[in-house]
Amino acid sequence: MSTVTATAESAPVRVRPRRRRLGVVGVVGLALLILLVGSAIFAPWIAPYNPEESSGNPFAAPSRLHPLGTNDIGQDILSELIYGTRISLAIGFLAAIVAISIGTLIGTVAGYFGGWVDAVLMRAVDVVLVIPFLPLMILIAAYVGPSFWNIILVIGLLVWARPARVLRSQVLSLKSLDYIDAARALGAPASRILRLHVLPGVLSLSLAQFILAASNAILIEASLSFLGLGDPTAKSWGSILYYAQVRSAFLTGAWLWWVLPPGLLITLAVLGFAFTGFALEEVLNPRLRGMS
Amino acid sequence: MVRFLAGKGVQYALVLLFAVTLNFMLPRMMPGSPLVFLAGEDVGFLSEAQRTELLRSLGLDQPLWRQYVQYLGNLATGNLGYSFQKGRPISEIIVERLPWTLLLVGLALLAATLIGVVWGTLVAWRRGSAFDLGSLGISMFFESTPSFWLGMIFIAVFAARLRWFPIFGAQTPGVSLAGWAMVANTAWHLALPLATLTLITIPGNFLIMRYSMLTVLGEQYIATAKAKGLAERTVIYRHAMRNALLPMATVVMLNLGFIASGATVIETVFSYPGVGRLLYEAVLNRDYPVIQATFFILTVSVIAANVLADLLYPLIDPRVRHAR
Amino acid sequence: MRTVAILAMILIAVLATIPAAGLAQTGAVRIAIRRDEGSLNPYTYQSGYPGWNIMTLVYDPLFYPDANNEPIPWLVRDVKVSTDGRTWTLTLHPNVRWHDGRPLTSEDVKFTFEYVQKVTHSRWTPTTRNLDGIEAPNPQTVVFRLKAPDAGFRLRTLADVPILPKHIWESVTTVAAARAFNNTVGSGPFRVEEVRAGQFYRLSAYPQYFAGPVKVRELVLPIVRDATVSFTAVQAGEVDLSERPLNPELVAQFERQPGIKVVRGPGFASTLLQFNLEHPLLRDLRLRRAIANAVNTNLMVKLLTLGYAVVGSPGYIHPASPFYASGLKFEASKAKAVAILNEAGYRDRNNDGVRETPEGTPLRFTLLAQAENPLRIRGAELVRTWLKDIGIAIDVRVADDASVIDLVWPDFDVCKGRRFDLSMFGWSAPVMTRPTALVDLFHSSCQIGTINIGGYKNAQIDRLGEQLVVTVDSNRQKQIAAQMQKIVAEDLPVHVLYYQDVIMAYRAAAHDKWVFQKGQGVLTKLSFVDPPKR
Repeated sequence: MSTVTATAESAPVRVRPRRRRLGVVGVVGLALLILLVGSAIFAPWIAPYNPEESSGNPFAAPSRLHPLGTNDIGQDILSELIYGTRISLAIGFLAAIVAISIGTLIGTVAGYFGGWVDAVLMRAVDVVLVIPFLPLMILIAAYVGPSFWNIILVIGLLVWARPARVLRSQVLSLKSLDYIDAARALGAPASRILRLHVLPGVLSLSLAQFILAASNAILIEASLSFLGLGDPTAKSWGSILYYAQVRSAFLTGAWLWWVLPPGLLITLAVLGFAFTGFALEEVLNPRLRGMS
Repeated sequence: MVRFLAGKGVQYALVLLFAVTLNFMLPRMMPGSPLVFLAGEDVGFLSEAQRTELLRSLGLDQPLWRQYVQYLGNLATGNLGYSFQKGRPISEIIVERLPWTLLLVGLALLAATLIGVVWGTLVAWRRGSAFDLGSLGISMFFESTPSFWLGMIFIAVFAARLRWFPIFGAQTPGVSLAGWAMVANTAWHLALPLATLTLITIPGNFLIMRYSMLTVLGEQYIATAKAKGLAERTVIYRHAMRNALLPMATVVMLNLGFIASGATVIETVFSYPGVGRLLYEAVLNRDYPVIQATFFILTVSVIAANVLADLLYPLIDPRVRHAR
Repeated sequence: MRTVAILAMILIAVLATIPAAGLAQTGAVRIAIRRDEGSLNPYTYQSGYPGWNIMTLVYDPLFYPDANNEPIPWLVRDVKVSTDGRTWTLTLHPNVRWHDGRPLTSEDVKFTFEYVQKVTHSRWTPTTRNLDGIEAPNPQTVVFRLKAPDAGFRLRTLADVPILPKHIWESVTTVAAARAFNNTVGSGPFRVEEVRAGQFYRLSAYPQYFAGPVKVRELVLPIVRDATVSFTAVQAGEVDLSERPLNPELVAQFERQPGIKVVRGPGFASTLLQFNLEHPLLRDLRLRRAIANAVNTNLMVKLLTLGYAVVGSPGYIHPASPFYASGLKFEASKAKAVAILNEAGYRDRNNDGVRETPEGTPLRFTLLAQAENPLRIRGAELVRTWLKDIGIAIDVRVADDASVIDLVWPDFDVCKGRRFDLSMFGWSAPVMTRPTALVDLFHSSCQIGTINIGGYKNAQIDRLGEQLVVTVDSNRQKQIAAQMQKIVAEDLPVHVLYYQDVIMAYRAAAHDKWVFQKGQGVLTKLSFVDPPKR
């Protein structure tokens, strides 16, 4: 049992279903992702209105003009949600890039060099893994202040530890492979071995970890935004929920069209990423494959 | 074994030091003056001398390193400090808040573990059935749902609309209750936050149990037991489930560490007076000492749970004991 | 499977028996408040509103603001002011007793004012700086000697400082000790019975209250941090009043609901677009005028507050205030804004949609807004949209309250300067009601204009302000205030956007004698007890 890591929510463990190929789970996940990425890219063509524009009366109920009603300053909620896909996915992807860059670097270096380098780096990973995650997040988010890039940085800086650990063990198993052993014996410089032999073996797994980190990031961003620690001027799904909450949507009937849809979208996006990630991880991680 | 524990000890000491230092530095690096929270809204009318005096009386005029040394010394003697805003020792505040968090998270973990174990076991036995796939789908759904959103929906439906449950708090305020009435009142307030927290904790447990069970079921001795013609019930509960519970035990232990922190969001949504909410309020109010103390308590509880897990695991799993 | 079913059944059975347990009614009036207010004594309560209002249910000041914010005698039966305005002789009501039964005398009053001068209190130490000496010639008489006549003495000192019991507080001698002191023996209509930190306060009526019977037997004040939750609680009948003004979107719904009454009146809290007048571009009146013309305050009021607000008066003072200078109006016009900019030479020279100064500096500003205040964030977004239309680029920067304060009003000390361009800002109701508000807001000296956060300078305002602070006659005060407002309206050191109405919803069954204090709401002592008879 490896050390268990905390995700944004309290459920601390992700376990992979056992499948050899991408399978149904992976296909469903990919389909969800494609759908969401599609609507993010084509938002201007799909969305009925400019979400920044007050196109109706404030707090209007759904109608033919505004299928999901309007928000507190008369902006079309459906258009907000469609454009929100852009912000939410962007935060997910960018935070995951930060996390995976750090994670890959640290995991690879630790695994490859071993010894005290490994010991020091893994201690750091342990420290990050043990610290209460969400409170730390709230603390830092409150400190750096709410902006699009700060949120990305905060999330990225806190979710790199799990990928680092996974990638390190991958490097360890790669290191014992004959051809890398041979290269080392022949005295090839570490940077060259890392670049030519280790990194390619690690990259595919990084991809799976990247996608899992992205799903985590989306969930975290939503939670931070809801707590009022996100960027309230960026129309992410989380900030749409924030406004729904502060403008009493669940006291009026508005929660049906103002609270439910963004929450479902977050869930779908997280599911899409998670499914794809798990499926990829299994296809790509030889160790997991050996276990089934 | 001793070396292993010593190594772990160093690790946890590092974590603690890191947390304590971060804890000390971050709030002080935050922009904004603590004065308004010390002196209230009208601080603008204070003279310069009066401001300085206020800061001095609270030790905030000292150089950082001295504040730090003082901070470490206080922690070492169990003094969590004093909340200027609330005008009370922090240990007192935390002692008030902690039981609510323990109650909420303790029960949620208990419920989520029981349900997760039973559900995971049953599902693993019927692997590939519609029940299995449906369960996987549902658990993945709740695993992916933002907890605050689930809580909001619960409040909207069960509290605001149907009025089955209260909207805020841990007990009806201002009403003195005793005995069964108090228990009932507390349970009534606890129901929705508990349900939310349980629902989002189950999937993790469920998935691990299912996975662990599948691994066990694939092993030789189960096939032997089945071949011996033992009843399905006996095989599941006597043989398979007992062994599959081992990894589960670790997970539960580690979950314990989040007892004080995982519920921050839930406590906020339901205005539940726990430690997580205390931290959130303190950050918003820039109540430095409370931020520090709460974060410290949360970190310590995580470490305590980890230590417990490390100590107990060898006792539970004979294989680990022999291996070391 | 069976196990799950059994567990589920047990759970349902337990939950089903529970709801009845929560519905216990005690006849108390329950008011949701937003935060902890310490132990509710004068040195531990936290906020100006609602903290001061609640604290003064337990303690009595010598005067108390009435429904029109006029300070009326409270602990005091008779007042004599010398002709030079510097000697105030007050006669106390004879039968006032502390909650512990001891009589309240002039010694307590003298002790209190000397105490707040000595033991720093952010609210009262500054307002008692003008005191030269206090005497208590006999148990019923107090004499205050002032260094100079003081326009705000009655409201900001006498009607604000709660009287402390000398026999209890004389042993508490330092700020730290006072802030940690939990004694709540006062002379007010309510006694503190129970403090459950972070959860609620329970107060009970003081039967021997000198001013007559208290209309509510018991008050329970649950702490509900979240505004929406507090309204939900009113709607569901879990509390009888939320101390916070109702969100506009809920007004219609609450008015329709049986059992709930909605009261509405002018609100004296302001919402402002604050300029930094030391900014090299914003110090140009033409630019400020153009910005003000582009901001459609009428539409803003409609969108943000659903019409439940009064459009800002350019002189700052609310039309419902006795100090309002009538006839001040600002008619915003986008065309005029464009004309002003064109005429002043602010043109878009590089066709990027943003105008530049003749020297080529683009008109690009950062607009701050507090994260805690979603309405102001929305307001900032509207300002950004409208200014973009006239070629002024705005970056909205949202930060938490403390961070915004750090930029706009570092250390709450305007002498320390400012580091912002534009900010959404606002002042609470007392900044509207006190006669010296305009001086505090606009005097150029940071010692006198203590909340002049924009760094506004105008010699004429300074001269009038210095006159106003020593004017005791209220008609003369109004004349000077009117002159000051006219100048402010011309200079636009700040663009007053609107004053949101105070709308409060309560459950009439619990208590129906609420008194609406103009500009502030129903959380006043007058809602629970009639003013003392002379």
